[in-house]
Amino acid sequence: MELCFDVKNLNLWYGEKQALTNINMAIESNAVTAFIGPSGCGKSTFLRCLDRMNDLIEGCRISGAIIHQGIDIFSKAQDIVDLRTKVGMVFQKPNPFPMSVYDNIAYGPRCQGLKDRKKLDEIVINSLKGVALYDEVKDRLHDSALGLSGGQQQRLCIARAIAMSPEVILMDEPTSALDPISTNKIEDLILELKKDYTIVIVTHNMQQAARISDYTAFFLLGEVVEMDKTDVIFNTPHDKRTENYITGRFG
Amino acid sequence: MNRKTKDMILDGLTYISSGISVFVLIAIVLYLIIQGASSINWHLLSSNYNVTAYNAAVVETNPGNYAPYNGEGVYSEQYGVAFKDITTAHNDDEIQVVYIDSSSPLANMESLIAGEEGKMVGLNEDSVVQSLYYFDQSGERVFLSRTQMSDAATLVDILDNQSSGVYSINYQTLGGGIRGSIIVTLYLIVISLLISLPIGIASAIYLHEYATKSKINSLIRSGIDTLTGVPSIVYGLMGVTVLFPVTQLMGATSTSILLGGLTLAIILLPTIIRSTEEALMVVPQSLRDGSLSLGATKSQTIFKVVLPCAVNGILTGILLGIGRVIGESAALVYTTSTVINDYPTLLGQGTSLSLMIWSIMSGEQPNYELASAISLIILILVFIINILVKVVAKRFSRRLV
Repeated sequence: MELCFDVKNLNLWYGEKQALTNINMAIESNAVTAFIGPSGCGKSTFLRCLDRMNDLIEGCRISGAIIHQGIDIFSKAQDIVDLRTKVGMVFQKPNPFPMSVYDNIAYGPRCQGLKDRKKLDEIVINSLKGVALYDEVKDRLHDSALGLSGGQQQRLCIARAIAMSPEVILMDEPTSALDPISTNKIEDLILELKKDYTIVIVTHNMQQAARISDYTAFFLLGEVVEMDKTDVIFNTPHDKRTENYITGRFG
Repeated sequence: MNRKTKDMILDGLTYISSGISVFVLIAIVLYLIIQGASSINWHLLSSNYNVTAYNAAVVETNPGNYAPYNGEGVYSEQYGVAFKDITTAHNDDEIQVVYIDSSSPLANMESLIAGEEGKMVGLNEDSVVQSLYYFDQSGERVFLSRTQMSDAATLVDILDNQSSGVYSINYQTLGGGIRGSIIVTLYLIVISLLISLPIGIASAIYLHEYATKSKINSLIRSGIDTLTGVPSIVYGLMGVTVLFPVTQLMGATSTSILLGGLTLAIILLPTIIRSTEEALMVVPQSLRDGSLSLGATKSQTIFKVVLPCAVNGILTGILLGIGRVIGESAALVYTTSTVINDYPTLLGQGTSLSLMIWSIMSGEQPNYELASAISLIILILVFIINILVKVVAKRFSRRLV
């Protein structure tokens, strides 16, 4: 198995408060890794480290290293824009831009300087097909994306990430704002996308982690308590705290 | 006192207060309409304020055949021209031409003014008669002064019954129009927005998107807020002392419209910065995150996602700015001067509509009608702008939901 991210001794502070403590983790390529844990345990914060979205937050300080393709992503050698084109992100709430469906998906490639209309058409259609949204919106490609339903908007956001042909897609509770049917569709989609992409997903829903992930990491108070294959975590956890959380004794 | 009576008294007080404020507003608007509405017409909007004098000699002495005239005023059958008595914008009683047949000898005369002798001129509906030379029944040339002709009826009586011909006429344009001031106002709007918009929007972007929470930045921010409260006369003084040398570099020799525009640009800056910043605040952070996570650079994010979302807020800022320029007078007293100019140029002087009111009212004979008419025009413009701001704001809130 090939390593996608190798996290070494990662610590993160918001001002004086330490949000992540001494995290060591190996995230494998072409697999789904799920982060579970109670609210405020640092799983989203850690996810945002992987494409350096925490840089945008004032007073955020990081030590340690995350090695991606042989380079520490926090080092000067790593171009941040370049990193974000290789590592896509899908957020908790669907956040389509207030433009047409087409322009939403073409946004990333256009920012990279792609102007060729034919290539853009191809990317848009393939991305929409990739998230099984094409048939639903093919007549509305040039209508505002804000007119789509919540589930459709979230799939559009995934399509937008795919359009950049990234290596990794980070998902921050992508189904928490959606109804069960839309959630189902997105879960099916994640299993489909696993073939081509490395997926890291934060979820509140333990059943979801059990259903779709290959590896699961359990976070508590800014630390990784345990990380292993998903069936190990859910069936034979080594740590008492993991077992208590999974069996619903707290959290 | 029980609770009910207390409530009634408090309710009553609020009703009375709002009643008073509404009444005062309505009274002001009504006064302006009564005083000014009758003066608003195409002539007011399209003609000059200052009068031009003419002195011209009649060339064609034979009276022509005129189409019958049954309109306003007193009609001279001999010359095919009708006059009426009016009071001009300059508060003078005058005899104005209300109709003239195109074949009238008074419509086709030769100028006697030095330097343009022989140039064809003639009375038209914009002329007021000052004095004239006519030939009496015995062929003697007689001078008729403005006081001697007293009113339109007397003038027509002399022309039709006592004269055998007209030698020359002294007349002038009616004046009292606001065309020049409208042009100056447009100049000021364009100059001030051209300068303040790019600078203001860029500053707002810096303050909201780039600036970190440092002491210097909060100092800049509170500085901008303070600028909003500075009286405009202070800006005017600053304009004439600090900005005048700048306009001198561009060739200005005195206060000028350009100087006024530059001063107004500075007055508008805080407004534009504020409204742009408020628009940027409403743009959800999730859109910025979304754009950045797709590998867009910060400036791509700002120009492709954030600014288009904020465009309505910026538009609101522009409209508020235009309203401010139309309404501003104190800052312009020193910078564009108070001379009413009918042919304004960038480096020349002139008055905006608001300042023109000041100029008209500060003379020896204040003209309430004209001032009210201009006030009414300004009120209507501001009213339209307010409606536009509301429409834009409504579109704005709908788009981001």
